[in-house]
Amino acid sequence: MTPPAVPLPPAPEPDLSVEVAGLRLPTPLIAASGTFGYGDEYRGVADYSAIGAVSAKGLYLEPRPGCPPPRIWETPSGMLNAIGLQEVGIREFLAKKLPAVRALGKVLLANICGSSLDEYAELARILDDAEGVHGIEINISCPNVAEGGIEFGRDPDAAARATEVVRRGTTLPVVPKLSPSAPDLAAVARRVREAGADAVSLINTIPAMSVDVETRRPRLANIVGGLSGPAVRPIAVRMVWEVFRGAPGLPVIGMGGIAGAEDALEFFLAGASAVQIGTMNFVDPGVWRRTLDDLRAYCLRHRTAALTDLTGALETGAAT
Amino acid sequence: MLRLAGAGLLRRPYSYCDREPDADGFSLLVKEFGAGSRALARLEPGGEADCLGPLGTVFRPPPPDRTPVVVAGGVGIAPFVLFCRALRDAGRRALVLLGGRTAEDLYLRGAFADFGMEVRCATEDGSAGRRGFVTELLDDAFADAGRPALYSCGPTGMLLRAAELGAAAGVPHQVSIERRMGCGMGCCLGCVVWAAPSPGEPPEYLRSCTEGPVFDADRIAWARDPHPL
Repeated sequence: MTPPAVPLPPAPEPDLSVEVAGLRLPTPLIAASGTFGYGDEYRGVADYSAIGAVSAKGLYLEPRPGCPPPRIWETPSGMLNAIGLQEVGIREFLAKKLPAVRALGKVLLANICGSSLDEYAELARILDDAEGVHGIEINISCPNVAEGGIEFGRDPDAAARATEVVRRGTTLPVVPKLSPSAPDLAAVARRVREAGADAVSLINTIPAMSVDVETRRPRLANIVGGLSGPAVRPIAVRMVWEVFRGAPGLPVIGMGGIAGAEDALEFFLAGASAVQIGTMNFVDPGVWRRTLDDLRAYCLRHRTAALTDLTGALETGAAT
Repeated sequence: MLRLAGAGLLRRPYSYCDREPDADGFSLLVKEFGAGSRALARLEPGGEADCLGPLGTVFRPPPPDRTPVVVAGGVGIAPFVLFCRALRDAGRRALVLLGGRTAEDLYLRGAFADFGMEVRCATEDGSAGRRGFVTELLDDAFADAGRPALYSCGPTGMLLRAAELGAAAGVPHQVSIERRMGCGMGCCLGCVVWAAPSPGEPPEYLRSCTEGPVFDADRIAWARDPHPL
C-alpha cells in the first residue's frame, strides 16, 4: 500500500531582485533607452513599482534634432525606427529632466553617445557627480547616426577605447550597450571587460530597411533604420548566450522584443542577469507588472528561491 | 491609441469622434486602410480592443466673438463631431466645410446638420456640393463668418492650403495632424513634425502625440515638412 502523498510545503516567496554592475535592482526589469523618454513620461500609466531601473534616452553634449520623418514603420512582429537620437543635450537633461526623474526614486542609468572619444569622456565626467544618476550605459551601437554610435560597437578595439575613456571619467558603474552588427560579439564583450566595463547590455537594434513598392521610396527618411521587437528576439537570445559563454564573469543585461515573463526567462536562462524592455512597452505599458507577476509565478512553480539562480541555467546536456 | 489582438504589433492613433451624453463609451470613425483598421472596422459586437487614452491635445473653442469655421477632408471629419456637439451644447454655431473625392467620402454630414450647423460641401468629381477642393470654400466662409476661427483636419494638401489661406486672412487656426505613432506617450519620437523656427533657437521637432495632435497652425513649419501628414 502506498502511503498517502505528503503535500509539499508552500514554495518560499522568490527573491526577484538582482544585482548587476554593482547596482541592486528591486526587480530585474529595466526600461530600455529610447523607449521610456527620460524616465517619468509613463508616470500614471506604467506600474513603476515593477520596474527595477530606467535607462534614459541617449544623450550627447549638445542637443540634436534627430532624423527627418518618417521615422518609424511597423514590420512583421517588429518595428523599424530611425529617430537619430533626437535629444536635449546633457546640460538640459541635468537641469530640466533629472530632478523629476530623481523624484521617482528609481535606479537610473544615463545612456551616453559620442561622436568622438573626447565626447564620451566629457559626458562621463559630467555625469560622475550628477545626483540621481546611478550608472552609465554607453551607446556604441546606434545604427541611425552618421558618426560614433555603431562605428564604435562593430570593432572590439574601438569599443574598448570608448569604454576606457568613460571608465577613466567616472566611478559610476559602466555598461556598454553592444551592437548586433559586430562580427564577433563575444570578442567585443571581452575587450570592454578588460577596459573596465562592469556589465554589458545587448542587443541594440539590427540595421534593417523596408520599401514602399508603390512609390518605390524607403519607408524611413533615413532609408535604413533599426529593427526591434519580437522579430529580433531569437537573435538577441543567441547573442546573450554567446556573450555569457564567451566573456565569463561579465554580467549581461539582455534585451530584444521581450513581451512577457516567458521571453524574459529565455534571456535569463541564456545568461542574462537582468533584462530590458523597450518596444513592447510602447505596445503595452502593462508589460512591467504582468511580466514581474508572471516571473514570480514561474519561480513559485519551479520552486526557484531566487531569480538569480536562473542566470545561465540553460540545460544543454542530453535530455532525460 | 488602439490595438486589436492579432492585428499587428503597434497601437494606432484614433481621434475620438463622438460621445453622447451619459454614454458608456465613445465612437470612432474608422476607414479600412491597412490590416489594423480593417480588423477594427470589422470588429464584431462584444469584441474587444485595447485602448490607451485619452492622449494629446484637443480643439479649444474660440473666444465668444469668433465664429468657428471647420474644414475637413475625408476621415478628417472624425474629431469635429464631438467638437461641434460641445459647441452646440454651449449654444454656439459653426460653419462646417466637408470635402472628399466623391459624395461617398462626405462622412457624417447629417450629424452636423443635426447639431444645427451649416454644412457646405465640395467634391473633386462634383457628385456633391461644389466641384473642386473643399479649401476653395474657405474665402467665402471667412467672409460669411465675419470674425472666423479656423479648425482643420484632413489630408496634407488640404491642411497646407488651409494654413496658407488662414494665415493670409489673419484667421486663428487650429489644426489636427495625423502621423505614424509608436507609443502615444511622447517616448518613441516617431511622430514628430517640424516646429516653426523661433529666432535664435535651433530647429526643433514637436511630438504630434503629446504637444499635438491639435496645434496652433503657426507653430508648424509647413514649408519645411514635406512628409505626408
